[in-house]
Amino acid sequence: MRRKNWWAAGLCILALGAMLVPATGMAADEFKIGVITSLSGDLATGGSVTKRGYDLWAKAVNAQGGIEISGKKYSVRLIYGDDQSQPAQAASAAERLAAQEKVDAVLGPYASGTTLSAAPVLEKYKIPMITGSAESPLIWKQKFRYTFGTIPPVNFTGSAVIKVLAALPNGPKTAVIYGSNDTFSKATAEAFKATAEQVGIKVLEFNILPPKQDMTPLMSKAKVLNPDLVGFGGHDEELVNLVKVLTQINFTPKALLMHYGVTEPAFIQALGKNANQVLGASVWTNSIQTKGALGWPTAKAYYDVAAAEYPKDPPDYTQAASSAAGLVFQAALSQLATAPPLDEAARTKLVDILEKLDLQTFYGRVKFATEGDYYHSNAGLTPLMIQITDGKEMVAAPADSAQTKLVYPMTPWDKR
Amino acid sequence: MLVLLPQAIVDGILLGGIYLTVSMGFSLAYGVLHVIDFAVGDWIMLGAFAGLTFTQWFHLDPLLSLPVIFVIFAAIGWMLQPSLQHVLSGSRGRPVLMALVFTFGLALAFRGSALTVFGIFTHSLNTVLSQGSWHFSRGSFFLTIPVIRLAGLVYALAVMVGLTYLLKKTDFGLAIRAVAQNKEAAGLMGVNIKKTNAAVYGLYVGISAMTGVFIGAIVSLNAGMGPDLALFAFFVVVLAGMGYLAGVPWASFLLGLVQSFFLIYLNPSYVLLALFTILYVILLISPTGLFRRGV
Repeated sequence: MRRKNWWAAGLCILALGAMLVPATGMAADEFKIGVITSLSGDLATGGSVTKRGYDLWAKAVNAQGGIEISGKKYSVRLIYGDDQSQPAQAASAAERLAAQEKVDAVLGPYASGTTLSAAPVLEKYKIPMITGSAESPLIWKQKFRYTFGTIPPVNFTGSAVIKVLAALPNGPKTAVIYGSNDTFSKATAEAFKATAEQVGIKVLEFNILPPKQDMTPLMSKAKVLNPDLVGFGGHDEELVNLVKVLTQINFTPKALLMHYGVTEPAFIQALGKNANQVLGASVWTNSIQTKGALGWPTAKAYYDVAAAEYPKDPPDYTQAASSAAGLVFQAALSQLATAPPLDEAARTKLVDILEKLDLQTFYGRVKFATEGDYYHSNAGLTPLMIQITDGKEMVAAPADSAQTKLVYPMTPWDKR
Repeated sequence: MLVLLPQAIVDGILLGGIYLTVSMGFSLAYGVLHVIDFAVGDWIMLGAFAGLTFTQWFHLDPLLSLPVIFVIFAAIGWMLQPSLQHVLSGSRGRPVLMALVFTFGLALAFRGSALTVFGIFTHSLNTVLSQGSWHFSRGSFFLTIPVIRLAGLVYALAVMVGLTYLLKKTDFGLAIRAVAQNKEAAGLMGVNIKKTNAAVYGLYVGISAMTGVFIGAIVSLNAGMGPDLALFAFFVVVLAGMGYLAGVPWASFLLGLVQSFFLIYLNPSYVLLALFTILYVILLISPTGLFRRGV
């Protein structure tokens, strides 16, 4: 008995010692990049989009040996933290990546709520984070010095599409707008409302609803009010449910505008012909004419690589923005020219580099704003209006990127 | 907006129909087996995916899958129930808690399996009834009734009638009621408790799976839909009085009507607050549910 105890104790001490060794700040051969995103929970759909984007970038950069610093190439290792679609878990994942894994940088969450709770933690540890996804303007209003986003906030994207509609010859004059009660969806609905009022569209009803609320009574009321435009901010399940409610009560507004989820193949597959003519917003599709100075040379090239790697999940603008976030780190780390692991001073210098960066990628231009409402988000992009046409996502505006003519008003459900 | 009143009432009743489909099996299971089945939402989810698979394999209308799904899931429930019974039998102590943990574990297992097999996306079951709606109008009175929601209500009422007939007019139903009332005495009277319990659980799972097909057709389906449905099932059953099957339709319709009125006439943001306040107040006045017949 005694002997066994000594052995066990000895093994434990050895194991503990082995665990402590990496934490002593020895030189590393790789950059450790943490990833915080929703790998499970309600938002797992979106979380997996960002994961694919980040994975594609890591694979591409490692295929060429890694990031070159002073003649030596350092590969990139992604270390995942699952925020489980909950802000509290995002903060705890951030804490773990910063304190235990000691990552050099972080690629950020899918959702706005989780980004908002991870950001203060990373601010404390002075670790830069770029999110390829979170769109709530609330994030940028907080002016976190260490948080950036390759995607512009939804009030930037959403307002552009309302303006396109308002500019149509017999455009919408009235609107009913709802949003689901989560950070992103609420911001979307508020952006729609604010812009609608700005351009003279009368908002007959506006409210923020509990998530996944059955909207039949609300749409019955809308049918009576008969608005030209129905706008909704929500996530994939809610968008499908809304279209189903509208078809069930047979109310076809002249335009149905929803944000995010509309561009997913699953949305089109679930609704069939009823998905056609639905409007959405995006900042990237695989057909826009972009030239990448780093990484994939064009939007189409990225699409081809991504579709080959993940045939069941063709890339959307969030996945593209996530890969672009990786490219931004790649460019900034090359410029920083400091070998990993990065200490606090190096990471702070990295933030300065990020602020001055102006990079052309397959995703479009990345230039982070350094002041104002869009602080540290990518206000260098042009929003695109999407309309589902013949079961495919097509750009309907602006004119220079358009692939299809905008159909307004929508064909009634029962005439399809 | 008085012109919307008839529509508000109809929408509320149809919404209540959905809640009835979710809660009726659950109430039966609780009433007889005294098991709070955390997996109710996930049984429904599995039924919905079974309907989806049936549609994908045979290219037939999902509603035609209902009898097949009922039989398959009733058999699964029948086979699973002895394990649940073993947990409940108390040889490990704290039977009620262990049953909760067991069904919670089932729920997690189902959800994880569905995520792995079917992925994260939301799907929809399209039936021949999916898009139709009946429209009535005379003067300023109008009403729109979506056919698929009406079908859901008809299904729910048909199951309730079937269950009531089973319980009140058949020998097997008598056995079930006896077990629900006093298990030991029923056993002494010659009722085969094991078989009765297994059959009731099988019935409950079969009904829940069929409900899944309707939910998939009326709303949508995805691997994570279970917890929200379970929440509403609990809500309805607690309001009706736990174990009191006859109270379930009333509680479901109350839930649907309150939501509908709140959404149309008051502030939609507060609809959940209103629902839970009503639940709270009713339980304060009558802790055993609306009809004081709960346990």
